Amino acid sequence: MKNINFAAILGLIVGLMICSVMVLFFNESPIHFLKVLGGSFYQSKFDMGLTLYYVTVLIFSGLAFSIPFKAGLFNLGTEGQILLTAMIAAVVGQSINVNYFTVVTLTLLIGVISSWIVAAFKAYRNSHEVVVAIMLNFIFAALASYVVLNFYQNPQSQNPESALVSESIQGFLKDPLKVYFDGAPVSSFLMIAVICSLLVWILENKTKWGLEIKAYGENPSAAERAGISSRKIIFLVLSLAGVFSAFVGLTEVLGNTLQYKIGFSAAYGFLGIVVALLAQGHPIGIIFSSFVIAVLHKGASDLDLETMHLTRDYSKVIQAVIILSVGAAVYFESSVKQFFKKLKG
Amino acid sequence: MIDIILSTLRLSLPVLLAASGGYFTEKTGIAQISLEAYLLTGAFTAATVSYFSHSVVWGYVIAIVLGVLVSQLFSLLVLKLKANAIVVGTALNLLVMGVIPIISKNIFDSTGSTPSLNIDNAGIMAQIYPYVLTAALLGLSYFLAERSRWGLEIKFAGQNSDVLQSVGVNPTKVRWMAITFSAAMTSVGGAILSTYLASSYSPMMSAGRGFIALAAVIFAGWRLGRAWLVVVFFALTEALQIYIQSLQLSFKIPNELIQSMPYLITLLVLVFYKNKSSAPRFVEY
Repeated sequence: MKNINFAAILGLIVGLMICSVMVLFFNESPIHFLKVLGGSFYQSKFDMGLTLYYVTVLIFSGLAFSIPFKAGLFNLGTEGQILLTAMIAAVVGQSINVNYFTVVTLTLLIGVISSWIVAAFKAYRNSHEVVVAIMLNFIFAALASYVVLNFYQNPQSQNPESALVSESIQGFLKDPLKVYFDGAPVSSFLMIAVICSLLVWILENKTKWGLEIKAYGENPSAAERAGISSRKIIFLVLSLAGVFSAFVGLTEVLGNTLQYKIGFSAAYGFLGIVVALLAQGHPIGIIFSSFVIAVLHKGASDLDLETMHLTRDYSKVIQAVIILSVGAAVYFESSVKQFFKKLKG
Repeated sequence: MIDIILSTLRLSLPVLLAASGGYFTEKTGIAQISLEAYLLTGAFTAATVSYFSHSVVWGYVIAIVLGVLVSQLFSLLVLKLKANAIVVGTALNLLVMGVIPIISKNIFDSTGSTPSLNIDNAGIMAQIYPYVLTAALLGLSYFLAERSRWGLEIKFAGQNSDVLQSVGVNPTKVRWMAITFSAAMTSVGGAILSTYLASSYSPMMSAGRGFIALAAVIFAGWRLGRAWLVVVFFALTEALQIYIQSLQLSFKIPNELIQSMPYLITLLVLVFYKNKSSAPRFVEY
């Protein structure tokens, strides 16, 4: 199949090899390390369910990075938007007899509006989207903590977290997927995530908007000469990213804990970058790369117990090394191609 | 009043160095979002080496060496293997944030902090050296940026690298030197953070200062002197924040609001500020 990206797969394998050799520095056996890393997710139904929960949030955050990336924008704002939207979902969910429609609509709306801040700065002030997004990440994290701790703190808990959402929207407790996986964090949001990937594929490849986004990403000034409004593209791609960030918040609050727990996101927004790069931006590929990264993330969380000298922080190292080795592999792939071209020519 | 000024100066030291570091890389047309990584590397290395060698000087030296080594990875990927600078910068931040807790677990059996240093910070010399060092390094950066041939080469690398090639200067080499210099400066900032502002390394102690430094550079329109002013201004808001928290006010200002002040102010200024032509042209290798 010509669609399979060999550079990404090569980068993944090389990255994992580098990571397992690196554990030698910490007196750990690479074989044992790989066993823990790869063997953790199928230990029990619950472990699988937890991994599939990671898959769900990673698909969403991967899409939130990859769509703006197609238009040449670096969306580093997902992390802050995840926290903001999760807070909104938890807060709106507190009111008695609230229904799903209200919670979901409001959360998605806040996701979109929060992304407009970045879009407006980019479109009207030509500020670098990375800087604005980084500032907003700090602000949204502070805002979410402030609202939850000061107004919605769970009175029955010592932990910093909100009270549970109203019983009318606790339906995901009976979610067939959740029940099958022994009450694990996974929920039917996994299906929505997969459907979203397919929809994004259709958007990117079969619609006018998709073509416009790609054209703008390839060459913004040429696209503008062809009548594509740069402001429209910026707002469009970042709004979509906002929707997917909001879905991460919904997955956590409605599908998993039913509350806002401070610090729930293990930098899911940044994991999305790894996912999107590994898939080379392909929306269907994102489903697979999410699974790979979810398995590694799940495995790394067992390193605390299963190894003497490593901690779950090694998950970050693995992500970093994979990003770097995929980057290098893409370069080698293109230079090898050029080499063969020269041979032929 | 004097308290606030002194604490402003104190707090601005690491960020001044990080902003100068960020300036050099950014000015050559390479986006630099891994200042955080160099700050953390410098802070952890300085605290660890000082703890074992009982000498802060060695802490600084090894911090610079390690910071420069980490930056070589950045240069290799961005300049040689043509990877995207923001992607590599993100990866570098993740890498450093992941490696440090594991190393500290193995050396100190802690969850990320180093033991407290037994440095005598009371002497007048110990109080003054970070200021002297920072002033010297800022002077050096200013000289390199504005008065040296290399400074001019850096500006051309960011504006129009064809000019450099036509006079026989390799823009990639200019960028590599700038990235390396950035890392060295920022690592010193990190070292000051853990050995002077605190007396040990604690997890994530840079607390976004690398991003603040980057914001300051961009905010200042990629001009070094102005970037320093912005940093001092940020430090002033931070000093005020600490001061306000120490007051027993009758009304309560939320902590989170005060802590997000620098970020809110950044955005507010960006509202009134349209990116001008002094921005380097960011290159895609």
